Parts: sequence; C-alpha cells; structure tokens
Amino acid sequence: MIRKALVYTLLTIGCVIAIVPFVVTILASLKTTPELVRGVLDWPENAQWENYRIAWTQGRFDRFFLNSILVVIGVVVPSIFLSAMTGFAFARYRFRGSKFLFAYFLIGLVIPLQAMVIPLFYLLREMHLLDSLWALILPQVGMSMSFGTLLMREAYLSIPREIVEASIVDGASSWETLWKIMFPLSRPIVGTLSLLFFIWTWNEFLLPLVVNINPDYHTLPVGILYFQQRWTSNIPVIAAGSTIIFIPLIFMFLLFQRQLVKAITAGAVKG
Amino acid sequence: MQPLSPASGEVSATEPSTGSVATPLGGKPRFSWEPYLYLLPGFLVFTIFVAIPVAGTVVLSLTAWNGISWNTAEFIWFDNYLTAFKDGAFWGSLWNNLKLLPFFVLLPAILGLIPAVIVHQGKIRGEKFFQAGLFLPYIMPGVLIGVVWRWLLNPVFGPVNDVLKFFHLPTRSWLGDFTWALPTVGAIGAWAAYGFCYVVFIAGLQKIPSDLYEAARLDGAGGWQEFIAVSLPGLRREIAVVMAVNLIAALRAFDVIRATTDGGPGFETRVLALYMINVAFSANRAGYGTALAVLMAVVTLALSTLVLRFLGERDD
Repeated sequence: MIRKALVYTLLTIGCVIAIVPFVVTILASLKTTPELVRGVLDWPENAQWENYRIAWTQGRFDRFFLNSILVVIGVVVPSIFLSAMTGFAFARYRFRGSKFLFAYFLIGLVIPLQAMVIPLFYLLREMHLLDSLWALILPQVGMSMSFGTLLMREAYLSIPREIVEASIVDGASSWETLWKIMFPLSRPIVGTLSLLFFIWTWNEFLLPLVVNINPDYHTLPVGILYFQQRWTSNIPVIAAGSTIIFIPLIFMFLLFQRQLVKAITAGAVKG
Repeated sequence: MQPLSPASGEVSATEPSTGSVATPLGGKPRFSWEPYLYLLPGFLVFTIFVAIPVAGTVVLSLTAWNGISWNTAEFIWFDNYLTAFKDGAFWGSLWNNLKLLPFFVLLPAILGLIPAVIVHQGKIRGEKFFQAGLFLPYIMPGVLIGVVWRWLLNPVFGPVNDVLKFFHLPTRSWLGDFTWALPTVGAIGAWAAYGFCYVVFIAGLQKIPSDLYEAARLDGAGGWQEFIAVSLPGLRREIAVVMAVNLIAALRAFDVIRATTDGGPGFETRVLALYMINVAFSANRAGYGTALAVLMAVVTLALSTLVLRFLGERDD
C-alpha cells in the first residue's frame, strides 16, 4: 500500500514537472503583465485574447503558421510518396547495385543536418532558392529518404508473399501492386512515418534559421526566436506565440499518443 | 490489424510469376529497369540535397573559401584542421559540449530509470496516462523549450526564483550567471529528455520475462538485488540506446542554447554547433566552418560508437 502511494506520488511529480511549464505558458498567454507578476498559477481574470491578436498580426504568426503548414505538407506528402517507391524497389527486386544503393540511402541516418548545412546553404544560393519555402521543403524531403526507405522496405518485407504473388498472377503491374496492394497494407508504418516527418519538420530550426533571412519565409520556430528578442519583456505575448506553436503538437499527441510514443522512440534510434 | 487477402492460401506460387515484376524474391534474375525507375526520384532528391552537401562539407573543409568569392576557394588541404587544433575557441566549445554530457546523458537516464524500476515492480493503473505526460516535452521544438524556460528562469519576473524563494533557496539570474548558465542549460536538456528515457526503460522492463524475477525472489533477492541481477542486465540494450541518443543530443546541442543564452554569458555556453554556424555565416569562413563540421561529426561518431560498443551493440 505504501509502495503504491510512493509509485503514484513519484509519477505525479514527474508528470507535473514535465507538464507545468506548458500549463503555465498557456495561463500566461491569457493574462496581462501585472496579473502575471502577481501569480503565475492564478487563473486569468479576463482572458486576454488580445495577446494572441498581437502575436498573430504584429508578430506575423499568421504568416509563420501558414509557412509551417505549407512546409509540413510539402515535406510529408512527397517524402511518403518517394519512400513508398524506394522501399518497394529494395523490398521487391534483386538488382545490380542494390546493396550499394541501399547503403547509400542510409548515409542520412548517421549524418546530421549540421554536418551539411554550410554547403547546402551555398547550393541553395546557386539554385536561387534561398528565401523561399523550397529551401525548406526540398532538403527536408531529401533528409527524410533515409529513414523512409528503411521503414517502408521493412513494412513491405513483412507482407506475406502469397498476397503479392496473387496480385501478380491476377495480371497486376508492379505499379498497381505497389499502390493497390502493398502500400495500403503498410498503413500502420505509413502512419508512423507521417507522424515522425510531421514532428521533425514542424520542429526544424537550424535549416530555416540559416537559409531564410526574409521573415516572409520564416516558420514558427524561427519566428518565435526573433519574436522573443523583440518583445523581451512582454511575456504574455511571447507565451501566446509559444502556445500557437505547441497547441498543434499537443493536439497531434493526444490524437496519436500511443503511435507517437512508439514512433519517436523508434525514430530516436536513427542517427 | 492488416486485412489478409481472402485468396492468400489458394493462389500461392503455382505458376512462376512471369508478370512485369522482375524477380519476386527467389525467382530467376532477369534484367529490368523497373527497380531503378522506382528509385530514381528519391535518389535524385537525396543526392542533390543530402549527398552532395555532405561531400561538399568534406571538400570545402580543405579550402580557404570565404563563402563569397570563388577566388578564395583554393585548396589549403589540412590547414583548417591545424587551425582548429590551435583554436582556443574550438577547444572551449568542445569542452562546453563535454560539460553538458552529465546533464544531457546521465541525469535524464537516472531520472528515467528510477521511476521505471519502481513502477515496473508494482503494477499500477493509468500508466499510459503518466507516460503521455512524461513524454510531452520530448516532442516539443528545442527553440520553444528555450523560449519558455528563458521566461520561467527570468531573474526579475520568472516563477522559478519565486518558488526557490519560497523554500528559502538561493535565487539568481540562472542563465546570465557565469557559473550557473551551463548547468542551467544542461538541466533544461535533462528536463526535456527524462520522460523519453522513462518510456524506453519501462518498455524494456516489460520485455524481461517475469520468471527471471520469480527465480530471483526464490533465491531470496530483495528489491535492490533484483534490480542489480535482473533489471539492469535486462535493460542493457535500452540503456545503450538511451545513452547514445542523449550523447548525440549533447554533442549536437543547438536549438535550446540558441534560444536561451546564445552562447553567453561571455562564452560560457558556446557549444560546437553555435561556434560552427558563427564561423561560417557571421565570420564568413565557410572553409573553416566546414572543417569544424567534420570534426564535430567525427567526435560524435567516435563517442557514440564507443558507447554502443561498451554497452552492447544495437540490433538493427
């Protein structure tokens, strides 16, 4: 009994410490500054939606939010599409150079963005892609290929051979076999991958920091950094900006909690 | 979960597959362009935006390029590496990364391991709920974590100092203090990771066969002995993974630090990634910056290989 109490206390403390900063931030985002100074944990007297309006319009979070959404879609959808095909090639065919090519695709697992961001910047400059959303989308699709290829290949390999052969016997082309049979059967992995790509892209900071100087093309993480520097002492407004970034993540988290915990834990092993 | 094809049994390979799929595993190899066509788009994007920049890092690290005019892009071979060797700022930054290790690697691992072991030994309800709460910080962007903690730790109106005052503990400008800035940044890193460690450990513990515990108990092992004899060896792989992941996070630390101290006060929290980005883009020393990137990658690879070797290999 005492032991049970200890366990629950321990877990509650751990959880509270993990969550409280976010709770406090949400509360702060709805207060006035004097109210905030009086008590951090106090319930806001009148919800100050004005803070969100300031962040959204003056802080240009409307633009950053839109950019973040566009970049996430622009990265996740093509990444899934392309990994579905590369994974298929490695799972279904034996061909010359397949071992080498597979290893080549996996380099990305051990090499972080930091090790290539400097030449990447100059490459994008030569391609006249700096200060555009393409500068965020294309490299991140490239970086997704390693993990995507690895996971999709594994997903296809776990599909019973008879199912695939049945479709071939039915006269389906490889293209049809891929998209009508194998891809739908790999839904759980596709879901996991999409979640991971979403979070990695939503959270990416170094790339947009380096390649996009023009605030028109900032995403939320870079946006909040400069926003914080401009509004240093107006905590409620900074808190509102922060809340705008983490609410979609919390939402995703609540929806896909179990898959997400599993996916991140698996994804963390990458690199 | 996956629907099985109703015909799966009957149609099994009675005929050899002669369709357009070149060689379903095991068939006779026949040349086909198909796999290459499937690889092509992914290959192109990967090559242009990952492989070429990676190769570019290595090549540029051998030049004196300033990133602006190609005239300066002459090969100076290993001079950049010699420069790094003599560069106090490089060693200082590396040292700061190493000083982060106890906070980023050991602290969250211990903070995750202890509750995992205690929880595992007594079944509890609502475990998934607790897991979710603990895990939350780990999915948040580092910048956001930095922005939030910078406010919480603010010396004038931050709530952390209020709490400390309440318990009659010393208060200070945690992120602005020459002695305390680095441990504070480290503590933020530990805060962000301990829930992740917990989740990995509890999943690992659940995989340990329960008869091992029963056997230990029959041998008269107490909780502590059980932990040493059964849990710890059973968690070998998880410990290795957590240590490696945390180690890599410590050596690549950038987002949280950029948003909290930006390397300050002075250079107390300047880490390799920050120094590298400044060298390349603020000081216009692209060549030297890439050399630092290579050194960083080498250090990371060496240390993480060491950890994985030492604690048991990964199985994939």
